[in-house]
Amino acid sequence: MKGRVLTSDVLLGIAPIALMIAVWQALISFGYAPATLLPPPGQVFMRLVRQLGNNEYQQDIAATLFRLFAGFAIAVVLGVGIGLAAAASPAVNAVVRPIVRVLAPLPKVALYPALLLLLGFGHESKITLVVADALFPILLSTYYGASMVEQKLIWSAMAAGTPPRQILFKVVLPAAMPSVLTGCRIGLVISCIVVFLAEMITSTDGLGHVLVTAARTFRAVDMFVPLITISLLGLILNGLLQWLRSYLLRGFPEV
Amino acid sequence: MIEISGVSQVFQTSGRQSHLALSNISLTIQDGAFVSILGPSGCGKSTLLYIVGGFVAPSQGTTRVKGKAITGPGPDRGPVFQEFALFPWKSVLGNVMYGPRQQGVSSAEAEAQSRQLIEMVGLKGFEHFYPKELSGGMKQRVALARTLAYHPAVLLMDEPFGALDAHTRTRLQNDLLNIWERDRKTVLFVTHSVEEAVFLSDKVVVMTRSPGRIKRIIDIDLPRPRRRAELLLDPHYQKYVVDIEGMIDDTSEDELHP
Amino acid sequence: MMSWRTLVSRLAPLLACLGLLGIWQIGALILDTDSFPTAIDALRAVPSILTDKESLINILASLRRMAIGFGVGVGLSIPLGLMMGRSRAVASFFNPLLMITYPVPKAALMPIIMLWLGVGDLAKTLVIFLGVSLPVVFHSFQGARAVEEKMLWSGAAMGLSAGQRMLRIVLPSALPEILIGCRTGLVLALITMITSEMIARQSGAGNILFNALDMGQYDTVFAMIIIVGAMGIGLDAAFEQLRKRLVRWSEPRFDLPLSFS
Repeated sequence: MKGRVLTSDVLLGIAPIALMIAVWQALISFGYAPATLLPPPGQVFMRLVRQLGNNEYQQDIAATLFRLFAGFAIAVVLGVGIGLAAAASPAVNAVVRPIVRVLAPLPKVALYPALLLLLGFGHESKITLVVADALFPILLSTYYGASMVEQKLIWSAMAAGTPPRQILFKVVLPAAMPSVLTGCRIGLVISCIVVFLAEMITSTDGLGHVLVTAARTFRAVDMFVPLITISLLGLILNGLLQWLRSYLLRGFPEV
Repeated sequence: MIEISGVSQVFQTSGRQSHLALSNISLTIQDGAFVSILGPSGCGKSTLLYIVGGFVAPSQGTTRVKGKAITGPGPDRGPVFQEFALFPWKSVLGNVMYGPRQQGVSSAEAEAQSRQLIEMVGLKGFEHFYPKELSGGMKQRVALARTLAYHPAVLLMDEPFGALDAHTRTRLQNDLLNIWERDRKTVLFVTHSVEEAVFLSDKVVVMTRSPGRIKRIIDIDLPRPRRRAELLLDPHYQKYVVDIEGMIDDTSEDELHP
Repeated sequence: MMSWRTLVSRLAPLLACLGLLGIWQIGALILDTDSFPTAIDALRAVPSILTDKESLINILASLRRMAIGFGVGVGLSIPLGLMMGRSRAVASFFNPLLMITYPVPKAALMPIIMLWLGVGDLAKTLVIFLGVSLPVVFHSFQGARAVEEKMLWSGAAMGLSAGQRMLRIVLPSALPEILIGCRTGLVLALITMITSEMIARQSGAGNILFNALDMGQYDTVFAMIIIVGAMGIGLDAAFEQLRKRLVRWSEPRFDLPLSFS
């Protein structure tokens, strides 16, 4: 019974995607869109497969992934660290809170020109932009999770002889883990988006750069390929994080 | 011996108002005694327990355990909360092992001790379950085992069976008494159930409502080990329950005429 | 009579702004390069941009596109999200599609959309619309899904039709969550606007930024960053005021946006 409901859900979910591809193909087949503007889906797919085997394209993927992971990793360390500190210490909180309040709604991409001027056109400016964008969701959800930890959990650990300085890592961080990981997931998707955009705005390699080069020469097929690649990367990374999450949070209710 | 002398607790509420939760509480509890604190909700009985636990500092007065002033929580006083407060990221075994490991007991030794305790509270076979997979009664058994694992001299129980259904509650009361009979730890037990207090305790401390004061201390002179089926028919037990309920009723009347 | 304490906490964001500008000022003085003007120099360049007619038209055109994209996005996304939240079939129909499009950088669609629609307002507005939609749909979906079933039963017992229940029970109960989505969407609209203009390099605030960068007018670059930053902070603060008014009845929630979710 449950299996059947699930199957019908999956079928329903595939429907709009299949429909989209069908309309896409139909637009070309019936001559509404010239192939120069909208290449047929089969052609895009073939090109994607061929490009994934292409050494140059693989290097572009590698460049994008390197910036993505470097930025995301720094954002996680900073975000979790500052978030925990702000939850644990009223003094840190008093300083961090207003600064975060000002910086969180700031459109970070506007800082990109300044980062280019200060850090140059290489990896550093792009990684910094990724950090700036991914940091806040991670910081905020860590802070939120850490300040919501049940008081009696902390008391139980203290009574069992946990010294005060260990409480933060032995109780607060693990108890805030669901919230921290939610923040990380948001941060990861943002990292994907931001690294791609930064590469589009100015770069000499990476997936975003592939898209811009194709756009300059009006090669529509090559514009779709990097876009699909970055979405696939996003989905795969998201899936990996989801798997990590269900492993780390196996004890928590309703993962 | 626990000595509570002249303890008062004032809470700052919004603005400049303050609320006197406990007023001038003095109480001495002998080693090995089972003492219940009974009172209407909001009488500060849990706060008193938190003060003895060292989780909350009193506004006035001092508390001593074995002659030493309480400055903070310590493994000599183990709490068991109504909310269980188990670590959700640890299995049953992991939760029970936490205390001994903090005390520096080796991993193998802690595991052996913990398995024994888990068996004692009737959860053999559930060692690798996570708290979310257990019922409320089972969770409270784990919480009790976790606290017993670091051998506190005093058990501080904060309405431990308050969130459980009547049937589970009765079973846990019996099991708690059985465990207590073995090593006769000092127990400070907060509850709002008169039957529970009389059934379990050597002494019942009745408190008034806000500000919390000690109204009466009643010695429960019933034979041990206690059997619920016998006790319910015992006129002495019945008289204790009726008398104490009367005292609580009085304090409730006070609330209606402030 | 406001106490000293509440005064400080009210002014804290302002103090934070001043502190950040101060750090900038000191950093610039230490580095002392042309490409990194001091905060004071950058602030001095702000009025000249805002009084320059062409820049002002550019910025206002950007804002207009953003308003339209945001408005249309919110208008279409809330009903969709609410329907997804109340109907399992609608949810399973749209969910995978949303999941696939979630990690696509919306501003990156700019070159393709420009290819189809040209470089006009339509392409840019469409991109902003796409950027706004996802978070609003997602939060409306979450909000509608969390509506207490028994509240709907009571509504049905009182004789409300399905449509009325949606409008008079689901919408208000989901409103706090919907507004969180709108707040995220607003910040995203600004980001998408700037980014798409940076990529298209035709007109708008994002273009002014990069033109100034190319021409080496570093004061203008940093002044534009201040303007865009102030827009983001101002819009967010204004929306937060509106949100507080609309959902005064709801439980006080975390008062900082977990943006992008």
